[in-house]
Amino acid sequence: MTTYTEEYRALVAQTGGGQVTEAFRREVAAAVGPGGLISEPAQLRTYECDGLTGYRVVPALVVLPVTTEEVAAVVRACARHRVPFVARGAGTGLSGGALPVADGIVIGLARMRAIRSVDVADQRAVVLPGVTNAEISAAVAQHDLYFAPDPSSQVVCTIGGNVAENSGGAHCLKYGFTTNHVLALTFVSPDGEVVTLGGDAPDQVGPDLRAVVLGSEGTLGIVTEVTVRLLRRPEAVRTLVADFPDPGSAGDAVSDIIAAGIIPAAVEMLDELAIEACEKAVQAGYTLGCPAALVVELDGVGAEVDEEFQRVQEICRANASTNIRIADDAGERARIWKGRKAAFAAMGRISPDYFVQDGVIPRTKLGSTLTRIREMSDAAGLRVANVFHAGDGNLHPLVLYNGAVAGEAERAEHLATAIVELCVEQGGSITGEHGVGSDKACSMTAMFGPEDLTVMARVRAAFDPQGICNPGKVLPTPRLCGERPGPYRPHPLEAAGLIERM
Amino acid sequence: MSVTQTHGTGVVERPGSVAEAAELLRGSTGPVVFRGAGTKQAWAGRPDQAALVVETGGLAQVLAHNPSDMTVAVGAGLPLRDLQTLLGGAGQWLALDPDTEAAGATVGGLLATGDSGPRRLRYGALRDLVIGVTLVLSDGLVARGGGTVIKNVAGYDLPKLLYGSLGTLGLVAEVVLRLHPLPSASATVTAPVPIGPAVDLALRLRASALEPAAVDWADVDGGLLAVRFEGTEDGVAARRPAVLDLLGAGAGWHTGSAEDDVWLRLVGERRAEDGTTVVGAGSRPSATADVARALVQAGEASGVRTRFASQPALGLHTARFDGAPAAVGSAVTDWRERVQAQGGTVLLRDRPAAVDGGLDALGPPPSSVSLLRDLHRRLDPQGRCAPGRLGSWLPSPTAGEDSAT
Repeated sequence: MTTYTEEYRALVAQTGGGQVTEAFRREVAAAVGPGGLISEPAQLRTYECDGLTGYRVVPALVVLPVTTEEVAAVVRACARHRVPFVARGAGTGLSGGALPVADGIVIGLARMRAIRSVDVADQRAVVLPGVTNAEISAAVAQHDLYFAPDPSSQVVCTIGGNVAENSGGAHCLKYGFTTNHVLALTFVSPDGEVVTLGGDAPDQVGPDLRAVVLGSEGTLGIVTEVTVRLLRRPEAVRTLVADFPDPGSAGDAVSDIIAAGIIPAAVEMLDELAIEACEKAVQAGYTLGCPAALVVELDGVGAEVDEEFQRVQEICRANASTNIRIADDAGERARIWKGRKAAFAAMGRISPDYFVQDGVIPRTKLGSTLTRIREMSDAAGLRVANVFHAGDGNLHPLVLYNGAVAGEAERAEHLATAIVELCVEQGGSITGEHGVGSDKACSMTAMFGPEDLTVMARVRAAFDPQGICNPGKVLPTPRLCGERPGPYRPHPLEAAGLIERM
Repeated sequence: MSVTQTHGTGVVERPGSVAEAAELLRGSTGPVVFRGAGTKQAWAGRPDQAALVVETGGLAQVLAHNPSDMTVAVGAGLPLRDLQTLLGGAGQWLALDPDTEAAGATVGGLLATGDSGPRRLRYGALRDLVIGVTLVLSDGLVARGGGTVIKNVAGYDLPKLLYGSLGTLGLVAEVVLRLHPLPSASATVTAPVPIGPAVDLALRLRASALEPAAVDWADVDGGLLAVRFEGTEDGVAARRPAVLDLLGAGAGWHTGSAEDDVWLRLVGERRAEDGTTVVGAGSRPSATADVARALVQAGEASGVRTRFASQPALGLHTARFDGAPAAVGSAVTDWRERVQAQGGTVLLRDRPAAVDGGLDALGPPPSSVSLLRDLHRRLDPQGRCAPGRLGSWLPSPTAGEDSAT
């Protein structure tokens, strides 16, 4: 079995190895101002996990810098002492990307909360990483501008985290992801150097380093300032909720909408269980007992939106829609979205525990994939609620279980993993927006071959040769992914002195 | 120390598959240059004499077109115009309209050079449309990055990393792209205005809810601004009163072949003619008028004739220089300094070889150059990929202290 190349093994074997010593603590304390250091065990525990609460590691130290220079000074101390560091925003990530490393520190960026500047003419803003996603749009709303990526956690999640995860949201079918809306980054590399990636111009000369940092889940360095692209608010927005007798008909309606040449701003689907949970939590007005509901939103130039909105309603009816609810005003639209965006948290209303899964399939495989998920769910004796971005095939199956029942958590985790592997089988991806993090590092081999992973490990090593920057995330660690360590064999490059094992 | 900068007449190979390309690179040594249609071989620095030229003409298949998923996977050597013909049959297109399409530019070459066209304003650049890639490194390693679905955040974004890489990291062998529906209607409004007012109008158009697909300006008959709208018949027609009002007296509304003529005329203003030096630049949109003024000043200071064309709503510009090679070299350097002082970037395109004599092709490196060098050393350890293309930013292994140990 050749899951990993020897070169890959050698590259990911670099993981710092330094200790948080007294000397290191003093250096870090000197690098940040008063209140910038947390070392009380009770306080440290606040940082032991992110939104993926199943994995917990208490960090040795938490640092809360307030400037780029402070971040760089802390990172330089880490580099000198080979102490691993993990950057953290609001800690809302769902894949354990901000899970601390034992004997490492957490660099929290939540205190870097200023909006530096808003350039209305050029439709961009410079913000610090701790600014929340929603604050950006709120700050520029008076100019009819907004920041397009809108992850469901946008009220609390930070732009620094959005950059790390390349966050999407409900509207990315039409408007793209964070990577399509970031013009420049101030970036602290893992040796503490401060550089600018991207810039004022649409393109830089040479390979797009900004692009590889976006979505790298904090494994290549720390972003301390972000220049975001802002969009003009569309003239018109129309939203509807259409009920369907089964998910297959809803899926067919989505296909017909796309085939009609319409790119909706958003198309979301909720199944019966998801609707039940949302209604219990926020009473958004979805039809209880409806097997599948589509939320379709169109935006753009008024005349165009009106024309296409009529067309969408015809398509829904042609696909046996049993009821169409049209949002008449912004308040009604907000209510529909509140229901959708509360979906994950709402699961607590119908199940003591649940796993949130994130996978992508080609949109045309929706019907067959849902049938398979139902079969797998029946076989496992566990309920699965489905909420997903139907326009781009991004599924969010929620595997419901009761942690108090012995063995159920393991069965649920197993089912969640099997669903993601099913996505890859269908030609999709192990993650559409939640990231790989700690959670899915071992699943990377389902999607990428040994040489693919080797090249990614080379990219990582270029930025972080010591392996101190969020180690253990994204790229699989062979011995943690069901492989027992074999006898040590030097890689040819190592033998040739081109790389070293630290 | 001087580096011979002759254009390579090394062995030319045309691998017929990714495996053949990998075999070819694994089994060879020395500098290698990758070539699609060859429409942008002059961009940036001139590479050292190549021992091997890998042409992508044998990697020109459509690997998979999924019309309902609006994705396509192609060999890198597929010309864009051939792809558009195929997609047009399904009512779709790759939303990219670079000037070099007519000359046969390939999908892989367009990605590697980061080339784009006017409608980037609405649809983004190829950077925004690429979702997967197969890359062959100079040591024969074959890596896939991204995937085949439009939404995917697994692993590092290698497809976008290659955008603008100019063949310095490896061979782009296959590309997966997201597609758009062909718009059912299009119209273009023109107005005879010089660059200053054109920039103001471009910014007002961007700030409006009219959603222009393209805003283009060139120095024809004192200045020609063209604004394109795309969408449904009703949607395009509905914009007409507001845009004619905004653009004022002299504005004209064009559709059909008259519209095509407007855009052909504008493309002509960016094209390289014999002996002309063409330079691309980028800036904040609002800096466009300053960039244009700087070009006039740089041209006058060196006694060189200059011409400016721009996509002012994007902040992308094309400058053309005509004059004695040494004078052109100093005018380009002068203009580049002025544009960079504004936070902009400059990329040399087609030019007579003699211009390079008095010119640093790349200019001062960005603050991230050491990261670029580290990355390059990991992906192309022998420094084989187009050494010289990024000039002093990525020193040739033979010219620097980084020669293999």
